[in-house]
Amino acid sequence: MDGVQITENTGSGGNRPYRARVEICGASSCGDGVASKLFHAFQAELQRRGMTQEILLSRGKCKGLCHSGPTVLVQPHGILYCRVRPQDVPELVGETLVEGRVVKRLTFQEPLEFQVLPLYRDLPFFAKQVRIALHNCGFIDPESINEYIVRDGYRSLGKVLTEMSPEDVIREVKESGLRGRGGAGFLTGFKWELCRKSPGSVKYVICNADEGDPGAFMDRSILESDPHSLLEGMTIAAYAIDATEGYIYCREEYPMAIQRLQNAIAQAEEYGLLGRNILGSHFSFEIQIKEGAGAFVCGEETALIASIEGRRAEPRPRPPFPAVSGLWGKPSNINNVKSYAMTPQIILNGAKWFASIGSPKSPGTAIFALTGKINNTGLIEVPMGIPLGDIIFDVGGGLLKGRNFKAVQTGGPLGGCLPASSLNTPVDFDSLQAAGAVMGSGGMIVVDDDTCMVELAKYFLQFAAAESCGKCVPCRVGGRRLLEALQRITDGKGSHKDLDIIKEVSEHMMSSSLCGLGQRTPGPIMAALRFFSQEFKAHIDDKLCAAGQCKPLVRAKCVNACPAGVDTPAYLALIAQGRYAEGLEIHRQRNPFALICGRACPAFCETKCRRGEIDDPIAIRLVKRFMADHELEKPWNPAPLGTDESRKAAASHKVAVIGAGPAGLTASLRLAQMGYKVSVFEKLPAPGGMLSWAIPEYRLPRRTLFLEIDNIRRAGVDIQCNKALGKDFTLDDLLGSMGFKAVILAIGAHKSRHMGIAGEDKRGVIPGIDFLREVAAEATMRAVGQKMAGAVPDLKGKRVGIVGGGDVAIDTARVALRLGAAEVHVMYRRTGDDMPATHLPEEIEAALHEGVRIHTLVNPIGVGDLGGRGHEGLGSRPRDVAGAGR
Amino acid sequence: MAKLTSLPDLTRVREQARQDLKTRSRTGTTIAIGMGTCGVAAGARETMQAIEQELARRQIDANITTVGCIGMCVKEPLVDVQQAGRSHVLYGNIKPDMVPRLIADHLVKGQPVNQWVVCRIPVE
Repeated sequence: MDGVQITENTGSGGNRPYRARVEICGASSCGDGVASKLFHAFQAELQRRGMTQEILLSRGKCKGLCHSGPTVLVQPHGILYCRVRPQDVPELVGETLVEGRVVKRLTFQEPLEFQVLPLYRDLPFFAKQVRIALHNCGFIDPESINEYIVRDGYRSLGKVLTEMSPEDVIREVKESGLRGRGGAGFLTGFKWELCRKSPGSVKYVICNADEGDPGAFMDRSILESDPHSLLEGMTIAAYAIDATEGYIYCREEYPMAIQRLQNAIAQAEEYGLLGRNILGSHFSFEIQIKEGAGAFVCGEETALIASIEGRRAEPRPRPPFPAVSGLWGKPSNINNVKSYAMTPQIILNGAKWFASIGSPKSPGTAIFALTGKINNTGLIEVPMGIPLGDIIFDVGGGLLKGRNFKAVQTGGPLGGCLPASSLNTPVDFDSLQAAGAVMGSGGMIVVDDDTCMVELAKYFLQFAAAESCGKCVPCRVGGRRLLEALQRITDGKGSHKDLDIIKEVSEHMMSSSLCGLGQRTPGPIMAALRFFSQEFKAHIDDKLCAAGQCKPLVRAKCVNACPAGVDTPAYLALIAQGRYAEGLEIHRQRNPFALICGRACPAFCETKCRRGEIDDPIAIRLVKRFMADHELEKPWNPAPLGTDESRKAAASHKVAVIGAGPAGLTASLRLAQMGYKVSVFEKLPAPGGMLSWAIPEYRLPRRTLFLEIDNIRRAGVDIQCNKALGKDFTLDDLLGSMGFKAVILAIGAHKSRHMGIAGEDKRGVIPGIDFLREVAAEATMRAVGQKMAGAVPDLKGKRVGIVGGGDVAIDTARVALRLGAAEVHVMYRRTGDDMPATHLPEEIEAALHEGVRIHTLVNPIGVGDLGGRGHEGLGSRPRDVAGAGR
Repeated sequence: MAKLTSLPDLTRVREQARQDLKTRSRTGTTIAIGMGTCGVAAGARETMQAIEQELARRQIDANITTVGCIGMCVKEPLVDVQQAGRSHVLYGNIKPDMVPRLIADHLVKGQPVNQWVVCRIPVE
């Protein structure tokens, strides 16, 4: 360090000056005395060369570089030598202390173990970021103006004051294309020009640091981590528009930000970089901090100005705009923290540089606060125009627990949501607007299937309605009405009239409110209705909240997720007490097929299981099967439903059910329990539907299946097989001559989807459902003691290809193996995680274990020549993300 | 500190500060702790205290400094261990009870605690 005296107190009241100091590391307590040996070696060498009067040799403190020690610090050179051995000493003294050269091989080498660690720029979180406004954040001490200056801080201000005129500055900012980062996206340079051109000698520069959006902390981060960037930006703006006073309106809920700002202002004033005659020029500018007090509406510029003036924060009509008449009626420029923070970088690197980043109409970068059900929550700065999916999945690291992306709320409580179909949308002002969303200040809240979009809209609406200043009727009253309507819907008391109310009130609020708060309060609901209208309708028509969030409609998330609404917590509690028969009864109140579902239920409840939030969900199939199997020896006698009177009235009516699948069987059971005389007509030789005619024997043994169907016969249901509607009788027959009062059609959906590729109708290409039916038929017919027409397909030694990724594909694969196939290949067009069959992970595991080969990201483009049943001509098409949410 | 009254003044201060910082960092160990609201909320103050205590216990003389928010809020408290200005390793989710091992392995033994590492930051 220049100018630092190296002296030693001689003890007799004087200080002896030295030319240099050599400091050997460590206290004497350190290790094996290696440092001590080094010390002696230096002593000897310095004595040998007669340098003891000019070089001060001492033992220093331990620097924590023990792995590279012993270390030798040479001052004033500021060189740290590492792993120095006594035999290095003569060279070190000669080269450095005498010749003034560095001995490279003895300088610090980063240990190899560190060099294999991932680099900052290679982390997915940082790889796509371009940090302009955030370039100092996390790298400097925010309370040190020197560290800011070292990283080119205040260099722009210096350039502006010495080389540029105010018009030059405005031109530069205009050419950069910077658009207001508060969310409105108004051209910043243009706004500065308007303000400059407004007549008057008193002008103000105001910074909007109110940041009221829940979940937004972009501005707070800049204020806390790099406050000087804001001060420098505001000063440059003040120079451009000829202002001498500035205000930072910062919400009082940010105490650390306020404290760091106050500190930074004091430091800047001390250095002459703020205040009178900045950097010795004629330009003076002072900044004051005005603290907010909990009003979201103060984010609106005219309300903010009112607040600074000491009045109640209410907006006023514009024009006149603040650039013409603002604080105390004087021309005022208001910008967001981020807009000012980017300004020094634009001046430093030039407008062309800034305009080259991002998209043509939205140059530069955007800062987002990623929150919600996302892995990498935090603050990011990315070039404008980056696809939304890149932000969510690459930078954000995807959804927590690998859940499915449902929507992202952008623009805060006055913004809108975007669903999976919008994941390819570029993120910039205009593209987002075209997609029906809002850029806003930069909050991004990611939600998954556990979030109810109706509830989310209500949450934002509650916030916005509460923050209404009350000045204008559309917002004050409209907000309340909207909230009431949404509340009715989430309470399960909504009607379609409520949707009409929401639409009408929203239109009024959007067109007639005095300020942006009222105009955009309906934003979230409108967006939710646009993309998730089926959720609203389900809440209204079916009183169903599929996400399981609206408490009045949901008793427990698992019960809510079960299509049959089985009261799982109840029967689990009974099982825990060993009361299996009672648990089984509870189950059968909603779903009579406890034995069957214990083997083949898709367990939607497991995706919502609360235990699953902690470690793994309850393995409900196994529990259910245990409970049902325990009572196997005691046949179930379904209890009657209703009252004696109702049953007596029902007894005189006959009801026909067409189809003996799960739906038909359940319907007939309930009707019989209610007292009706029920006949089931089944087209195929045995009842059960998909249970008998698709699910393989090894997953659902027919003996168990028919035991459970017998329960239904025991309730008084007459099941007739080999009777087909349209062939053996018609609807008119049923309601007429056969005397039925009502007919239930439960005919199921046994058809396959076609692939739509060439060669699909070649011999050897079989729809999965048909294949499974042929195989299942063999087991079912055997179980009812009949012979099957036709034969099970012969796959011995063949290579089998299966296209698909759901239950049918996996069942088909495992059945093919059991029929002797030599090789079984499953081809699925997306990734393994996307396969619908993943809701039954043990099936996929079993398939892999048995030798099935699963190929992902492949899709057949045609069927070539088949020898037997192999797909010879296969192509692959990587799938595009659009419309699928990956 | 006398006010800066010209552009050369600013340049001089910048160069001086740059030199000071470089020397300070090149000749020892600096430990930087993220101290934005996210860091503080995650317990960065307690982590810093633990670091101070452990360094005192081992009589290690290192610079402890605070920085703002680097943006990876989910990994706070973030601790950046810089050695001789040439090795910068960022550790994440460092709780006070993890500090003794961090100091022992990284500083004394020169072995990064891999499972706690977020990334390496290249030196300018």
